[in-house]
Amino acid sequence: MSMDHEAVIGLEIHVQLNCEAKMFCRCPSRPGDEPNRNTCPICLWLPGNLPRFNREALEQAILASLALDCEIQKESAFDQKVYYYPDLPKGYQLSQFHMPLAMNGHLNITDANGARKTIRIRKVHMEEDVARLVHENEGRTPVSLVDFNRAGMPLVEIVTEPDLRNSGDAMEFLRCLIRQIRYSGSSECSMEQGTMRVDANVSIRPAGSDQFNTKVEIKNMNSIRSVGDAIAYEIERQKECLVDGEPIVLHTRLWDPEKRVTSPMRGKFEGPCVPDPSVPRIVIESEYLDGVRTRLPEMPEQKAQRFVKQYGLTYEDAATMCSERSVSEYFEAVANCGASSRLAAQWIAAQVLPLLKECDETVSTSRLTPDRLAGLLKMLERDEINSSAAKEVLGKLRGSDAPLKEIVESGGFRQLSEVDQLEAVVDRVLEENPSAVENFRKGASKALGFLMGQAMQATRGKANPRLLKEIMTRKLE
Amino acid sequence: MQSEIFCHIDTRPGSNTARGALVGKRAAVQACISVEGWPTEAGSAALRGFVAVEDATVVERLRDAGASLVGNTRSSELGFGLHGDGAGKAVAGGHVDVALMTDTMGEARAAAASAGVFGFKPSYGQVSRFGLVGLVPSMDCCSILAKRLEDIEDVFTAIRDGDDRDPSLPDPAPPPLSPSAGPGRRPLSAGVVAQCLQGLSSIERAAFEAALSNLERAGIAVREIPFDKYELFPVVHNVIGSVEASSSCGKFDGVRYGHRAAGSRNWNEMYLRSRAESFGLPLKAYLFQGACFQFEQYAVFEKACRIRSELVGQSRRLHGEVDVLVSPARRAASEFGRANTVGQLYEAFSLTLPANVTGQPALTLPGLVPCEGGDLGLQLMGAPFGEELLLGIAGRILQELEGTG
Repeated sequence: MSMDHEAVIGLEIHVQLNCEAKMFCRCPSRPGDEPNRNTCPICLWLPGNLPRFNREALEQAILASLALDCEIQKESAFDQKVYYYPDLPKGYQLSQFHMPLAMNGHLNITDANGARKTIRIRKVHMEEDVARLVHENEGRTPVSLVDFNRAGMPLVEIVTEPDLRNSGDAMEFLRCLIRQIRYSGSSECSMEQGTMRVDANVSIRPAGSDQFNTKVEIKNMNSIRSVGDAIAYEIERQKECLVDGEPIVLHTRLWDPEKRVTSPMRGKFEGPCVPDPSVPRIVIESEYLDGVRTRLPEMPEQKAQRFVKQYGLTYEDAATMCSERSVSEYFEAVANCGASSRLAAQWIAAQVLPLLKECDETVSTSRLTPDRLAGLLKMLERDEINSSAAKEVLGKLRGSDAPLKEIVESGGFRQLSEVDQLEAVVDRVLEENPSAVENFRKGASKALGFLMGQAMQATRGKANPRLLKEIMTRKLE
Repeated sequence: MQSEIFCHIDTRPGSNTARGALVGKRAAVQACISVEGWPTEAGSAALRGFVAVEDATVVERLRDAGASLVGNTRSSELGFGLHGDGAGKAVAGGHVDVALMTDTMGEARAAAASAGVFGFKPSYGQVSRFGLVGLVPSMDCCSILAKRLEDIEDVFTAIRDGDDRDPSLPDPAPPPLSPSAGPGRRPLSAGVVAQCLQGLSSIERAAFEAALSNLERAGIAVREIPFDKYELFPVVHNVIGSVEASSSCGKFDGVRYGHRAAGSRNWNEMYLRSRAESFGLPLKAYLFQGACFQFEQYAVFEKACRIRSELVGQSRRLHGEVDVLVSPARRAASEFGRANTVGQLYEAFSLTLPANVTGQPALTLPGLVPCEGGDLGLQLMGAPFGEELLLGIAGRILQELEGTG
């Protein structure tokens, strides 16, 4: 980025809501099922049918909006977004344009330099998804097939204000947004699995200016990383246009993840939005809203602050423990089983999560239940086991249903803390390594490390290291 | 089996064992009202071969009340206008006792007036639209034709009420008809909209005024009342109606049913050509117009919506002053079946379409406005959800005129 220009970035994020049913009929919302299984006359939009709005979708959409600190509008309504394409055989998509569900939200992010920034959210509105097109070849004939399983799936679209200035902030914003919405339980927000899609609007302007120049819409990013890459590429491309004196026109570009470039797709299309006469206006009573609000859990920011206070964690550890709702609940469960909370946070972050990720498990599905982990951590605190053995036991706790005690005993993981035994080991090591002893006494402190290593090896790693060092040092003097 | 009046005649009618107010009544529905297993082509090539997979709610309720379904009647394209419509003839010719048809700009009332039978459009929101292959969702209303006012009342009672398959109905549903809400013996008042009167020719006016004096004889005080912006009803209906029609017809792409043009090179061309070959005039012109307001002239649509709510508000106010509004149902020159451009249709239906804009109930009575070229039909319009009063007043008029006539 040259010094004299800055980027102006706004995001439009589609999020698929966690619902049992579709938005306007009772078909199950399982888009991955065998094609066209989850369909009915309503979502196939056969003549004579009318949309029947689902309260479940409303509730999840409200939760997502509350997670982004939006104001829920007392009245909202559905419009028909008119366009003709084979994925939308009724000719319009039911969406909220004129009267969205929620407005004026925000999300705070911390940028790469540690500065706090507030990103405003203009609106959150509900929308039905369209059918999925599958392009195949039947013999030599290319065919396009339409799968209606996705048609009518409940979505919300989140539209930010153009408050982002670089690709890094955009990525951080998305990470925060995903965390917030996942916490609320209203969506999985996985770009990889297609439950979240992000489009970015990018323009550039002289730094410090408050004008908005012609924007370019970029689509087809399938990960947070590629959103960042596509934005970074697009900013540079527009800057070059400026240098070359090429005009920037309003259009849509597709990100090509292989070539790592954006290329033009079409002029940006904005179909008309006409109020839908058949879906009743949505009026949200305050008692209903209060009811939904009680379903919103403690959100990550507040929870992290509570973890600092209640469990004495550092803010960094607390934030890590709060990155996912399931992890935060796991941490609290471990701490409540009597393990040291700091030790628990460190072990969950450094050992448990990487291990589970490697094995493709989660804290909620693993055999490494909170009480089993807490039991192990308590042994560690009581010096009954040392940390290298504990790491091995951790793997075995995940891999089998055997009780902790059995794993420790049968594997011989219990730490050697008997002073007599350790003294005997030390005596033998000193006797067998007279030159190292000599060197140490001449002032070569390295030799102590060597001798400790020998002694540890002699106990096959089970010696209590603190006790061993104490005895060794005493004997050498 | 088909005929000039019917698209489909049920040759194997199952015996209806339901016991209700309509036992023994033969009923027909227009071909844009779904009957499971029957072709429901709504008078359009765009629905050629479409067989309904479920009964419309009104059909289910007719059956539940004991009526036997004879067949479905021919329809103008998607019920827009009356070109080729068979419902009036089916009732007038005695083929059925009652017929249901959609009323978007007054089609059911106009068909009834032309055929010399009763035509009744209930309030918008009284009757479920589930199963109706509609055109203008905010104005379409399943309406009733019959030779006897009692049959109109019985059918209305049978088909009205809430329906979870039509969430646009008010919740809770308005209460059913009860005699206590009728007019009883109290003095009644009727209003004649001044601009409506001024729009009539001298012959029509003379015929209508003669009918009004009959109302006075029946104890209904008639007075002229102004209705601000009354002349805007047709244009408001036209703009909003065409916009909604354009959206409603978006689904007719010739892919899963309906006419599909042959030999197209890609899907876009296939859509365009199938639609071009399917829709006839005047519907095609209407859809073009609606798309133009959607894509190019959205502000005009918004303005029409604002004026519509003013008109609705005014009509509410007038119904606080008078019990019913009265007008002829048609102009002497109206030949509904021949109207075949958007302009001609709006001209022909100018007297009936206000009730579609406001959603109020309207009833046409036959034989009360004789004029050169035939009966104009007497139209009574009531307050929204004021069906008891409206039907009660009609009953009282008939009673008085029979007594004195």
